[in-house]
Amino acid sequence: MLKLSPIHKLPGKFLVVGFIILMSLFWFTPSHASEPEQQTEEYCLGCHSNPDLKLTLPSGEELSLYINSDELQTSVHSPNGIECEACHTNITTYPHPAINYQTRRELSRVYYSACQKCHPDNYSRTLDSMHAQAAEAGNLNAPVCTDCHGSHYIHPPSEPRTLIPATCGNCHTQEFTIYQSSVHGNALEQESNPDVPVCTTCHGVHNIHDPRTQQFRVAEPDLCASCHANQEMMAKYGLSADVYSLYSISWHGVDVSVYQARWPTVQHNSAICTDCHGIHNILKPDDPNSSVNPKNLLVTCQKCHPGVGPNWTGAWTGHYKVSLQRTPFLFYVDSFYSIFTPVILWICGIYIALQFIRFMVDRVRRSL
Amino acid sequence: MTSQQKPTPSSPNNRVKLVRTFPRFNVSQRWEHAVLLLCIAILLLTGLPQKYNTTVWSQAIISSPDRLNTIQQIHHITALVLSALVLYHLGKAIYLISRRKLPGDMLPTLQDVKDAWNMFLYLIYIKKQKPPFGKYNFEQKVTYWFLFFSIGIMIISGYVMWFPETITRLLPGGVIPAAIMAHSTEALVTAIFIVLWHFYHVHFERLNLSIFSGWLNEEDMHTYHSLEYNQLVRQPHSDQDPGDMKS
Repeated sequence: MLKLSPIHKLPGKFLVVGFIILMSLFWFTPSHASEPEQQTEEYCLGCHSNPDLKLTLPSGEELSLYINSDELQTSVHSPNGIECEACHTNITTYPHPAINYQTRRELSRVYYSACQKCHPDNYSRTLDSMHAQAAEAGNLNAPVCTDCHGSHYIHPPSEPRTLIPATCGNCHTQEFTIYQSSVHGNALEQESNPDVPVCTTCHGVHNIHDPRTQQFRVAEPDLCASCHANQEMMAKYGLSADVYSLYSISWHGVDVSVYQARWPTVQHNSAICTDCHGIHNILKPDDPNSSVNPKNLLVTCQKCHPGVGPNWTGAWTGHYKVSLQRTPFLFYVDSFYSIFTPVILWICGIYIALQFIRFMVDRVRRSL
Repeated sequence: MTSQQKPTPSSPNNRVKLVRTFPRFNVSQRWEHAVLLLCIAILLLTGLPQKYNTTVWSQAIISSPDRLNTIQQIHHITALVLSALVLYHLGKAIYLISRRKLPGDMLPTLQDVKDAWNMFLYLIYIKKQKPPFGKYNFEQKVTYWFLFFSIGIMIISGYVMWFPETITRLLPGGVIPAAIMAHSTEALVTAIFIVLWHFYHVHFERLNLSIFSGWLNEEDMHTYHSLEYNQLVRQPHSDQDPGDMKS
């Protein structure tokens, strides 16, 4: 009986194990199934963990071949099983095929296309970008994926958020310095403010476009409005969320909205937010250095309206509701018309209606 | 004599009928009205598409930035013509006042308020008869004075918008947004007023073309301007023409 029992239980065990194996086959998606199991990292690090391992390129540049295995473990790729071979597809064994790149830059510009394999969307977005255009025009320093994200030690690009302007600032040093001293950059660095815009908030991430085009210009008020018309967000900082809606009914705003809707590519210079507030150097209006500080406002207006006198700034109502204190003339005109218009039109309408009724009734009576 | 004899076209089987006509507007006034009509029409046609720039009909008119520029130029040129017309009109009035020849029958009087009240009572069937009117009834005076002030507002606010840099050297900046609002609102009120009030009275109630022809026939004079008619008929040999401004 004791000898027999395992044999009796066997078919049941086979069924269970067989079922699990069968089910596990279904669990694997085809892509996972087709990817070879990556076990290359350990094998590669056998040599590449040597800090002195390097190569001299024909240009004379030294290319370090050292990989820090500890740091590699903090990357987003390695712990998820995406190892050396995923990107270095041409290297399968030792000795490696010969490298025939003249410079480090040339090597980067070839190797980064490996990102396309897993990140096709973001990769193709970069092909539309200002950076890709610069590269096509011959500037080989225009960034590729690895310039912003890193190559071996890739970390989430926005952790912490301050990393984003710093990354862009690697090349755009002047803009970065100006941004750091702006109201937005300052809040980001001093308070780690989660709401203030970083470079990518306004310029986009992978498909960064030329901000000097007319299309970018006429769409720019909408860009600012994506935060500054947000009631909830502006309330946190005691700012008015009506600045955009009031701007869009102002002289400048109406002009810009017509051009945006109908002729976005036609050159037109009606003022948009950045013309007065600045671009990377935006400061609080009560900051004495702000271009919209009452002290500096006239000079700012004179950029587009040369030679206007000191009364000119009083004409600006683009961010204010009609009020007796700030815009008395507008207030009186507004009050006048809010009474005058309906009164005139009602009196006119009623009088003409009465006349018409009497006229028609008389005519009908005469014809009877 | 103020009236002339004008034969109407005779019907073949009828005797010749004589219609007595009464002069109402002189040549200068008729030209002024024609120019004013043209100016207001052009100003509205070029102004309203700019005010309602989001509508389909406006976008059909303002189809390109060049077209917008042309429309603004037409608006400005027409505004200059209208300004010249207003200066001519005011200049003529001042000249007539200085020579004590301004007829003054367009000036509002207390009688107009009474007429308006009586007309209202007539319209709501309390009175049987319309009040008798002189050369200009209160409706016509309302038309004149409404347009007088409305055009004044349009011209002043228009120039403020046209030359804001110059204006703010003299006046506070706040007048500019006020002018923009006044120009845009007043234009619309005026347009609606002309269509409702003026068009009803001169096209619908009766077709009154005296501002173009210069004269009214006896029947219209008797029906609509009975006070003036009686006055003229009672003093047939007076050569003073009441209400006619000579220029």
